[in-house]
Amino acid sequence: MEQKLLIVDDEAHIRMLIGQTLEELEDEGVNFFTAENGEQALEIIQVERPQLVFLDVMMPKMNGMEVCRRVKKELGLNDVFIVLLTAKGQELDRQKGQEVGADVYMTKPFDPEKILEKAREVLQLQN
Amino acid sequence: MIKLSLKSILNKKNETASVIVSLIRQLNATVWIEDETGKVLLGTQGDTCATERKIIVDNEVLGVVKGDDKANIVADLLASSVQKDAEKKKLGSEVLNLYQEINLIYNFSERLAQTIDAPTISQTTLEEAGRVIKSNSGVVLLWDEDAQRLKILASSGELFFAEEKLYSELRLLSKILLSGQSEILTDVSTLSQAGILLPEVRSVIYSALKVNKRTMGAIILSSNEWVQYTAADLKLLTTLALQSSAAIESALLYEKNLREAKEREEAMRLVYEATGKFVPYEFIGSLGHNVITDVRLGDQVEKIVTVLFSDIRDYTSLSEQMSPEENFKFVCSFNERMGPAIRKHNGFINQYLGDAIMAIFPRNAQDALLAAIDMQKEVQDLNKIRAVKNQTPIQIGVGMHTGPLIMGITGDEHRMDATTISDTVNIASRLESLTKHYSVSVILSDSSLKQIEQKDGFHLRSLGLVQLKGKREAVEIHECFNASTDIEKKINTLAVFNEGVSLFLSKSFQEANLAFKQVVDTDPGDYTAKFFYRNTKKIIDEGVFENGVGIVSMHEK
Repeated sequence: MEQKLLIVDDEAHIRMLIGQTLEELEDEGVNFFTAENGEQALEIIQVERPQLVFLDVMMPKMNGMEVCRRVKKELGLNDVFIVLLTAKGQELDRQKGQEVGADVYMTKPFDPEKILEKAREVLQLQN
Repeated sequence: MIKLSLKSILNKKNETASVIVSLIRQLNATVWIEDETGKVLLGTQGDTCATERKIIVDNEVLGVVKGDDKANIVADLLASSVQKDAEKKKLGSEVLNLYQEINLIYNFSERLAQTIDAPTISQTTLEEAGRVIKSNSGVVLLWDEDAQRLKILASSGELFFAEEKLYSELRLLSKILLSGQSEILTDVSTLSQAGILLPEVRSVIYSALKVNKRTMGAIILSSNEWVQYTAADLKLLTTLALQSSAAIESALLYEKNLREAKEREEAMRLVYEATGKFVPYEFIGSLGHNVITDVRLGDQVEKIVTVLFSDIRDYTSLSEQMSPEENFKFVCSFNERMGPAIRKHNGFINQYLGDAIMAIFPRNAQDALLAAIDMQKEVQDLNKIRAVKNQTPIQIGVGMHTGPLIMGITGDEHRMDATTISDTVNIASRLESLTKHYSVSVILSDSSLKQIEQKDGFHLRSLGLVQLKGKREAVEIHECFNASTDIEKKINTLAVFNEGVSLFLSKSFQEANLAFKQVVDTDPGDYTAKFFYRNTKKIIDEGVFENGVGIVSMHEK
């Protein structure tokens, strides 16, 4: 099955950074998709069914929490592994993240190694 | 070095591959693309190969575009696309590097914020620096101002220099480390030859730890392999050094403050302990203070307390048999027994007056009475030892009274003393001196007795009223004979004895006399009964009523 990965963030440099961090996976055949807002993300998730989504929480209009809630609770797409990304210090969000069904929670600034490690784990790719 | 491959560029979802495919089709050309190994990545290999164009990025051949003369167009397009990709990747990797650096500094600050001791801060700095700067050992050195030498605050990996050289080669090291510089040592031969660096060390990078332009030490990383440290490495190390030196400085200040506070506390504790031996804590405490230094002239407090006085009977004649030194030793050993008996029952000794003791019981009279009994038992124990040594037994009299007491500080600003001012003290003292008169060991006033809620277990009998010198009101007094040697006999005659006292008080001296005679006949050792017997007889024989009432007046001491 084709491996797909979606990066959602309204900030271009974060999309670029995560893409750059995970670049070696692209060489290993994983297909990368990016979205810059919640609606775009929802559309790609429904069409492409990526196995892994890095989802920024703080986005205008539809935020990451809402995207996550729709994917997990409304569409019931439980095979989409969602990593919520948020700025450090917003600890309150953790519980909300669990409520909307996020699989993992990571804080920005993120540790590139950890992002890569998590992606390999979810996509079951050997290092 | 940025890794690029034609395969991944053509595989990616960017449009390069599809544009090239459609271009080849539209040109109706025979063009194919091979990777560096000759494997065809795109297009169909033709029979002839008129054109051959290498795709080169950063002097590296990624592959070849082959085909007819139209292959040049495809090659131009691919080359420009690959170039763009390479630039994008290069930019991306630089941004990622910067981001990693930010992340590192961010984590580092966070870890620094969690610690307040200098060695841990130094260790953290070494760990973080070692993660990004290639090295196999590191050390944080600190200039110890007091000892005038460098000391190792933290180290990681094998120590890369001779530790003893820290002291012997002080000038050379200080010159290098305390210059306030940050440097990449490209030539370590001077230090190696001086025997400071171990011979296997090849590369060294270090940064000074500075606070307010003052150099306090240095962080040094070393490698046994030859490493070309970069300006970026040095910049990062300097950044880490800058952050950690501020943290180390605060930690050292904090430690110093803590140490000084502890020393002050210890000094205070010693003062407190020493003064506590002279002025009881309870005394200071009851004045509303914690330490003696808070006590001020004129501080005072009034409380209802029980005052206990004890005195060694016939101490004057006893002391005549001893040398002054023996006297002193005797009083000391005696007081050593009495002190604990008093403290055990929540009392405190207000004053030692030679062989006499004045103690205060702030809680209740029961505490004081229990202490009095214990004191008498201590004396009995002491007498057993004295008997073995062929020494005469000693006796103490204890008097106690409950009433208001003012504790306070008197004197002048140069000499203050803890004082009690109270009639209660006088009464307790007088009651003590009455014990000999009545041949009893413990006398308590009625006001003390009234404060004792649980009288069970105390063996008490009335001693009637006493007119104390200088007092208008007569005081009702009682004997406690718990510590008496013939306690059973006194219990047997208790009813008759009390009846005798009661008759005496109602001036029925004849009947009282008979009652006391009965007690004395039963227990000839009851000197208290004998005292009352003699007294009643004297009244009957001589018709003398002191003060006109049935009151035993206090006799001269």
